[in-house]
Amino acid sequence: MTTYSGTIPAELAREEHVTRFDIHQRVQHFFLMVSFTLLVLTGMPLKFAESGISKWWISVLGGVEPTRLIHRGAAWVMIAVCVYHALYLLYGIIVLKKKFTDIFPTKNDFILFFQEMAYFTGLRKERPRFPRYNWREKFDYYAMFWGIPVMALTGLVMMFPVVATRFLPGWVLPVALIAHSDESMLALTWIVVVHVFFNHFVPGVFPFNPSIFTGKLSKERYKVDHPVEYEKLTGQSVQSKEGN
Amino acid sequence: MLSGVRKSVRWLLVLTGALLLIGLYLLLTSHRAFALDETGCLQCHGTPGLSKTGPSGQTISLYVSEARVNTAAHRYIDCTSCHTSKPHETAITLNKQTQAEKCGTCHSYQYKLHAQSIHGQQLRQGVTEVASCLDCHSAENNPHAVIRVLEYSAPTYKKNIAGTCAQCHAQEDLMATFGIVEKVYESYMRSFHGKATALGTYKTTELDKATCTNCHGVHDIKSVSDPSSPVAGMENLTKTCVSCHPGAGPEFVSGFLGHKEASPRYVPAAHYTEILFTTLLISVITFGIIVVLLAVRKYIANRWKETL
Ligand code: HEC
Ligand code: HEC
Ligand code: HEC
Ligand code: HEC
Ligand code: HEC
Ligand code: HEC
Ligand code: HEC
Ligand code: HEM
Ligand code: HEM
Repeated sequence: MTTYSGTIPAELAREEHVTRFDIHQRVQHFFLMVSFTLLVLTGMPLKFAESGISKWWISVLGGVEPTRLIHRGAAWVMIAVCVYHALYLLYGIIVLKKKFTDIFPTKNDFILFFQEMAYFTGLRKERPRFPRYNWREKFDYYAMFWGIPVMALTGLVMMFPVVATRFLPGWVLPVALIAHSDESMLALTWIVVVHVFFNHFVPGVFPFNPSIFTGKLSKERYKVDHPVEYEKLTGQSVQSKEGN
Repeated sequence: MLSGVRKSVRWLLVLTGALLLIGLYLLLTSHRAFALDETGCLQCHGTPGLSKTGPSGQTISLYVSEARVNTAAHRYIDCTSCHTSKPHETAITLNKQTQAEKCGTCHSYQYKLHAQSIHGQQLRQGVTEVASCLDCHSAENNPHAVIRVLEYSAPTYKKNIAGTCAQCHAQEDLMATFGIVEKVYESYMRSFHGKATALGTYKTTELDKATCTNCHGVHDIKSVSDPSSPVAGMENLTKTCVSCHPGAGPEFVSGFLGHKEASPRYVPAAHYTEILFTTLLISVITFGIIVVLLAVRKYIANRWKETL
């Protein structure tokens, strides 16, 4: 997230791609994706213990104990990613003097949200003009700020129930299980239905959006998805048009 | 000369072949156990369909399956050890209490414990719906198919115990007649201990979680209102949890819902958390699905995959 101060970066005029994510963001997302997938694969069979698929899947993994071990291992990876992200932000703010303002929620996001809904329902002809991060991307990002702490704290309570109840009241145990169990369904459905849909299954992007893996996005795509940012980066104005 | 050598080689081959076959037969059959039937009772009782007519006119099967006896815990005990040398002189009772007493002639320790348990006390007073030896030790309630307790197929094997108790304790009507309204089996299977035990393999390392008997006892199961029950009162319950959760304190135990469900009166925090998170789940996902559906509608209208 370099702060572009209105000047046109020289390389951007030549290249076909725009650099969207730096290496830290890509590494963080990679480990988030891997750990999340493992957590889902090893958590869901416990939640739906009575179903036949769970029994089959647990036997593939070699029993409950290996399954729980993988869940715990992946959980530590996810927690490590959070620490990494916190250090990344701190280092960026204190040392690199970055502002990270692009990701801040603004009033404009609400306007863009209603514009996009109007566009989807056909009440509006042009796509809304999104800045670097659209409202969905911001929503995803802040959902992590709620979701991961909930999962990690409740998970740690269940991991160390005896230690936890040494300084917390007893009712945190059933509360932790309920919160962990329900929040996991929320995260899973959101990621599969909304996150993966809008990042991969939309026309022009399908079947795969490389941005978070290579860090780069084609200029053509950028013009469509983030016209405001594109203009800021290149100085060229982008005409909104109908279409995806 | 040559034909003589050939002949002996051929004989050698035949002989080794025969030896191999015999060895194979012995190898394959050696694991089969045979019941000790010194008195030849199975000559008659091993025939399916052998029966007698009971005092009230009902047919009582007298068939004893040899296959069952061969795999039972008592396969090396002769029929007459349990039936006396004159088995035809005593009529069978088909009564849980006298059957238990018969088991108790050899297993007196287990019998005594059971007799003092809630199940045994009731049994001695003529309540037959409670558990007796065969309810827990034979899947078919068959005195000749008692399985060794540590065999995987035994109803007493740790992985199977919850199912064994569920034969009765999952029957709501039956339990209601005894004033037990909590859905003990369902709630156990919802708990971490229950799920992990159900999903675990049969290996002992997978079965270190608590099952019914770890909390309630085995032959000495007490009514939960009996102060000597291992789950009665904070002190006893703590001791029970500590046996597997070293260092567990009163707060750890107070967070245990038992077989009850959280409600506004019982562990309200858990009850309201459930409501809060369910509401959150439903509203956020509904929102997400609506947005996705609207987008899909739009993209279809623009035609799928038509870029820009
Ligand atoms: C010759 C066949 C035969 C042999 C051998 C035999 N039984 Fe029986 N047994 C019967 C028959 C027939 C009945 C049914 C008698 C009746 O109708 O009262 C019976 C009944 C019984 C009963 C039920 C008794 C009752 O009246 O309720 C027992 C228990 C029993 N046998 C055990 C044994 C044992 C143990 C042995 C071996 C020591 C044995 N039997 C050997 C034929 C046999
Ligand atoms: C561990 C003790 C034990 C051994 C060993 C045993 N029985 Fe029984 N048997 C019982 C009991 C208990 C009953 C039920 C008696 C009753 O209901 O009063 C029973 C009942 C029977 C009955 C009545 C019908 C039935 O199946 O319930 C027959 C017949 C019988 N036994 C035959 C045999 C034969 C044959 C053998 C040997 C292969 C044998 N028993 C070995 C304990 C034993
Ligand atoms: C004649 C004495 C005798 C009677 C009666 C008897 N048993 Fe046994 N039982 C034994 C012996 C001996 C063993 C040990 C067998 C072995 O290990 O090979 C045994 C083993 C067992 C086991 C397996 C224990 C283990 O460690 O796995 C169970 C369970 C059992 N009996 C239950 C019963 C029940 C239920 C009855 C009543 C139907 C009963 N027994 C009646 C003598 C008896
Ligand atoms: C409520 C179910 C239940 C009832 C009723 C019951 N048992 Fe058991 N029994 C068990 C379980 C479970 C075990 C295995 C205990 C273990 O693994 O430590 C067991 C173990 C045994 C053993 C093996 C030795 C031991 O103590 O571990 C014998 C013998 C035995 N039972 C006999 C009996 C007899 C005799 C009766 C009737 C008087 C009886 N049981 C009634 C559940 C029951
Ligand atoms: C982790 C310990 C634990 C386990 C495992 C457990 N229970 Fe309980 N059980 C309790 C406690 C504590 C109570 C008393 C509080 C209550 O009623 O919820 C209880 C109560 C009961 C009651 C009396 C309920 C009433 O309404 O009076 C029955 C019956 C019972 N349990 C059966 C079972 C059965 C069957 C299983 C296995 C499927 C089982 N329990 C597993 C701890 C346990
Ligand atoms: C054959 C049926 C049957 C089986 C099997 C059985 N039970 Fe029971 N149990 C009963 C009945 C009926 C009662 C009610 C007795 C009463 O309250 O008078 C009872 C009572 C109890 C109680 C006391 C409940 C109270 O009122 O506090 C406990 C605890 C219990 N059983 C646990 C178990 C466990 C654990 C198992 C499995 C190892 C088991 N039972 C297997 C029938 C059974
Ligand atoms: C037979 C042993 C045994 C008994 C008795 C027992 N537990 Fe457990 N319990 C376990 C095991 C094993 C685990 C898994 C621990 C682990 O690996 O972290 C566990 C896990 C738990 C957990 C954590 C669940 C999770 O989601 O990770 C809680 C809470 C718990 N037990 C509560 C209790 C309470 C309360 C009692 C007493 C009423 C009790 N247990 C009695 C064996 C037992
Ligand atoms: C981030 C840190 C996390 C930690 C520390 C953690 C830890 C735990 C623990 C200790 C359990 C209890 C079961 C057991 O002891 O094996 C559990 C259960 C579970 N976890 Fe996690 N977990 C984490 C993240 C996740 C995530 C991201 C998901 C999926 C989205 C997830 C899904 C589940 C599910 C579905 C269960 C079963 C709950 C039930 O029984 O209803 N977990 N987790
Ligand atoms: C499972 C497969 C996943 C895929 C294929 C995937 C794909 C992507 C892609 C392509 C982007 C870039 C979007 C853009 O260009 O702006 C992205 C961004 C992001 N992803 Fe994922 N992701 C996955 C899982 C996850 C998980 C599990 C999490 C968190 C738990 C997560 C959190 C994020 C966040 C916070 C962003 C940045 C904000 C955004 O662009 O939405 N992703 N992901």
